[in-house]
Amino acid sequence: MRKIWAAAAIAGVLGTVGPVYAQETVKVGVVLGLSGPPAIVDFGESYLQGLKLALKDHEAKNPKTKIDLVVYDDEANPQRAVSVVQRLIQNDRAPIVIGTVSSGNVLAFAPILQRASIPLVAGPAIATPITTQFIDQKPSFIFRCSMVEKFQIEAILDWGVKTFKKIGLVHSTTGYGSVSAKEIEAGLKARGQELVAIEAAAPGVNDLTPQMIKMRDAGAELVLNFHESFELIYRPMARLNYRPVIAGNWGLSSLKVEQIVGKEAIEGTVMGQALDLADPKAKAFDERMRKEYGKDYRWPVLASLGYDAGQIVFKTVEKVGKSDPKALRDALEAIDGVDAVSETPAKPFSPTDHECLDKEHVFLGVWKDGQVVRLKY
Amino acid sequence: MTLSNVFQLLMSGIAVGAIYTLTAKGLFIAHLATHRLNFGQGDFLMVGAYVTIGLMLLGVPAPLVLVGVLIVLGLLGWGLERFAIRPLDRAGDQTGGYAWVLTTAGAALILQNVVELIWGKAAQYAPPIFSATRNNVVHIGGVGIFVEELAIIAVAFVVVTAFYLFLFRTRWGKAIYAVAFNPEAAALLGVNVRGTVVLVFVLASLLAGISGFLVGPLVSVNPHMGLVFTIKAFAVASIGGFSNPVGLLAGGLLFGIVEAFSNYFDSSFGDLYPLIAVLILLAFRPTGLFSTRAADVR
Repeated sequence: MRKIWAAAAIAGVLGTVGPVYAQETVKVGVVLGLSGPPAIVDFGESYLQGLKLALKDHEAKNPKTKIDLVVYDDEANPQRAVSVVQRLIQNDRAPIVIGTVSSGNVLAFAPILQRASIPLVAGPAIATPITTQFIDQKPSFIFRCSMVEKFQIEAILDWGVKTFKKIGLVHSTTGYGSVSAKEIEAGLKARGQELVAIEAAAPGVNDLTPQMIKMRDAGAELVLNFHESFELIYRPMARLNYRPVIAGNWGLSSLKVEQIVGKEAIEGTVMGQALDLADPKAKAFDERMRKEYGKDYRWPVLASLGYDAGQIVFKTVEKVGKSDPKALRDALEAIDGVDAVSETPAKPFSPTDHECLDKEHVFLGVWKDGQVVRLKY
Repeated sequence: MTLSNVFQLLMSGIAVGAIYTLTAKGLFIAHLATHRLNFGQGDFLMVGAYVTIGLMLLGVPAPLVLVGVLIVLGLLGWGLERFAIRPLDRAGDQTGGYAWVLTTAGAALILQNVVELIWGKAAQYAPPIFSATRNNVVHIGGVGIFVEELAIIAVAFVVVTAFYLFLFRTRWGKAIYAVAFNPEAAALLGVNVRGTVVLVFVLASLLAGISGFLVGPLVSVNPHMGLVFTIKAFAVASIGGFSNPVGLLAGGLLFGIVEAFSNYFDSSFGDLYPLIAVLILLAFRPTGLFSTRAADVR
């Protein structure tokens, strides 16, 4: 009898310590501007909303690899961005990183990740050289899922020169605004036109009346708006009796900008886009986001690119199944079958192309009856 | 440059200058009585703008909104004196002479974070105060002026006049000067020194409240908007001289006008020129344009 009890006890112990397969956890580092200038926070929070929804959807599929999202706020500060990326590499041992809003911050930490052989999916930063400066390094660890400034500007200029004779530009004095201004000037020159007026404004200004007087007096029919405070340009129009068409950065598609500027004033504003809300899939995503985040959801195209960046990264992690940066990079470059919400193709990357969006995926959107729709021209 | 452009720039400069004047006035009155400055004066304005937005969007009529804003800002001014200034006075020299810089700047940071928690970090829509839409422009001789701008210019002039009368013609005004001159002697003469100090902080805060109530539809309202106003109010107070209420009005309007014209002539550095002009002015007239050079006997 004692032997039976002993056997039963041993069996019980063995039963409890029997083979248990621990689920592998991979840390995905996320760096975004979640405090600081309001425009930066709008970008950062919207992209993160998309990422989080993508993670929720990924987890609903019962993946074999668990994902731990490690999110840091870079406060739109390049030094802090570099410091949190170093923390992600050294302390958190994240084998893959997503981020951030300010192009200057990405350009500051991308070389560190490239040297450490850790893949970066940049976004929602849009400066053109983010991927191009690394693509010749074999292999490049720098990818991006976001708008690309060059494609956005080219689309606007192609339409602009076709539709208007006189084009003006208001840009901010930040690095972003100045670089955009140079790209616009060069692009227009290549199309045989020149800006009739070019005006700048510091990031913290409250009134663009002097700049808009210059636009009006130069007879600008189209004013390109590349200032981070997207709403400021509309304010002096009523007092100056001047109603040019406004076109610019994809930021102009934010629901927050529409709310501040007003439905009437923003009607007809044109911007770079990569999400067509006429597409049923995009529409369904938009409705889901509204339900999920309520009034905090304010930027469909940003959220969609955050969602797609998340989808791509989580799918890659699932495929590799372990914290191996080099294997993750290779899998990322080869990823296929992405069911993107934005215009991102099913196979976004190749050894010579590390952008989710290429020139043909960027189109122009226009505010019409309270919604951004595809501009036909 | 056409004449109508000159007038347009003048008007928008005067309107912005009026906001700077009201903010600088808050700095001035607190400094006058206590030799302390509220480094969060611009953030008090920001709180005024947010409280206005919150109440307006709830459908509260504008006059009641103003009353609400003044109550909130009055309490904030009292709180600032009670918790950020008075404890330092009690501690005396142990805290060093400038600990109030830290406590007032700290209070400003707390306000920014509280506003972020309640309203979020994004810029906010500010409903118009005097009309249904935000395009309530009055055209005078080809120059377009927003009704809110007219209001803020009028308020700046009224407040300057009221302050002038208050400081030089009333018992409370004399009490402020007495406290500024010598708190101990003022106390011996029966002046309520503590009450006077509380009064100036509440008054400074109410000024920020009035500005905040009016500026919402004119500027970009966000939790970090205050710092720019604080910095420019310092510049304005330096031009006007920290002890002259009329000088502040002249300094504020001058600063706003120079800013509008410098943005017209060179928008890349438009915000820089007025500040450089202030630096040059202070190099030659350290007491400002309107203040007399006299030994400070306080």
